[in-house]
Amino acid sequence: MTIREAASALRARRVSPVDLTSTALARVERNQPLNAFITVLSDRAMERARQAESELNAGKDRGPLHGIPIAIKDLFAMRGVRNTSGSKVFENLVSDFNSTVVDRLEAAGAVILGKLNMHELAYGTSSDNPYFGAVRNPWNTERSPGGSSGGSGAAVAANIVYGAMGTDTGGSIRIPASYCGTVGLKPTYGRVSRYGVLPLGFTLDHMGPLTRTVRDAAIFLNAIAGRDPKDDTSSRHPTIDFVPDDHVSLRGMRIGFPENFFFERVDPEVESSVRGAIARAASMGAELKPIRVPDMSAINAVGQVTLLAEAAAIMEPYRESRHLFSPEVLGRLDQGRLISGVDYINAQRVRRRMRAEFAGLWQEVDCFVAPATPNTAPKIGEKNVRLGDATEDARIASTRLVRGINVLGLPALSIPCGLNSQGMPIGLQIIGPPFDEAIILKAGAALEDGGVGIPPCPLA
Amino acid sequence: MRDWKAISQAVGLPLTGKQLDVLAPLDSLEEIFRPLVQNLPPELEPVFQVSPEVSE
Repeated sequence: MTIREAASALRARRVSPVDLTSTALARVERNQPLNAFITVLSDRAMERARQAESELNAGKDRGPLHGIPIAIKDLFAMRGVRNTSGSKVFENLVSDFNSTVVDRLEAAGAVILGKLNMHELAYGTSSDNPYFGAVRNPWNTERSPGGSSGGSGAAVAANIVYGAMGTDTGGSIRIPASYCGTVGLKPTYGRVSRYGVLPLGFTLDHMGPLTRTVRDAAIFLNAIAGRDPKDDTSSRHPTIDFVPDDHVSLRGMRIGFPENFFFERVDPEVESSVRGAIARAASMGAELKPIRVPDMSAINAVGQVTLLAEAAAIMEPYRESRHLFSPEVLGRLDQGRLISGVDYINAQRVRRRMRAEFAGLWQEVDCFVAPATPNTAPKIGEKNVRLGDATEDARIASTRLVRGINVLGLPALSIPCGLNSQGMPIGLQIIGPPFDEAIILKAGAALEDGGVGIPPCPLA
Repeated sequence: MRDWKAISQAVGLPLTGKQLDVLAPLDSLEEIFRPLVQNLPPELEPVFQVSPEVSE
């Protein structure tokens, strides 16, 4: 069931929030080998479910998330609950406040089942966590779910929860969405409050949901979007009802497909699947336009310099506690310590130029479509991936097509568009202009309605 | 290429021998990043938003 279907069943009294939550908790138990959760909040969730049930019975309806079991990545602060950020540093940290996202989800009536496993400090894309164990991909448990929001991708794909919150600094929502065959939405920078979420890169961090359908992602966005006085970077841009209509059309929508960068060094099966979805969009009335995007390699380099410096700055208080970091993350923090102030500032100057260059694109198209990742999920522990005839570092490959979009702060939606010959999901991303989540959600929903997608995960 | 070993020592990072290998990715980053910043016009400002709303 999707969130919309469950919400409808709740209002028809065919199920209750307690039923949904009990079932979800049983699924947590049954799917323990996926290692998707760091903390399960069974008692708290059941209490919240009973409260939701009473409210709905009394006619108090908080909207489509009311009584729906969800989960959050373990770096969103939740009062009285451990918030490890997947790290030894914060292993025993118990939050004494709620992140704004948690406040808003609970105000919308969502039942938070627990906190999800992730890559250490969200600084990587494998979710092979040295302290809490590797998260496993429900489509093939020998494979990675991607990351850093790997637990979020696994829990949604395995149908444990109806949706989960992730964060995306260089692709960390869209990569697990692509590898796990879920929808993943990275809203525009500033659209969703970062308050109470452990930062990785102040100017690159985005909060967003992973769900099984596009409309479910929009339901999440409705609950969490909007200005938050507790986060200076949160935007005053007006929010709308983001959920696409039941009968959306692509007719007349100008959809770009990049002729440069995004289809280079891409696994042939991924390319074929994404191009198939683009052809489907054309058959549904979209106006396809070939485009050339600005230098994404340069934008990615700016993103790397920015992230290395910002992450190192954030972790500076723990500089002397080197034993609290894995060698992998420590290596990245050490690299960041060597980025000069001049280079960081200059990266932000190039970033301004890149944003201006990219802005021109929106005169030509309403959104554009590209692969989310150039490959499908690698095996757990695999350091390199094969892309046609070439070999590439698994982390660099996974972030190559997504990182630049964080630098630009643009909204992006990853949706599943096929399975490869080994039965692993393939994801495409739809990228739109700043604060136009509505257009990418509309395009995504129309493609979904038009048959672009994958069957449910066999484990679900 | 930059002398990362010297730079790491200058900033007080205790890296020696094979530990210095973790800095290797900076070389490939340099290749792309350095040309981007060599001729920036002085008037080009960074993307920084300093919000006046902090006391809200």
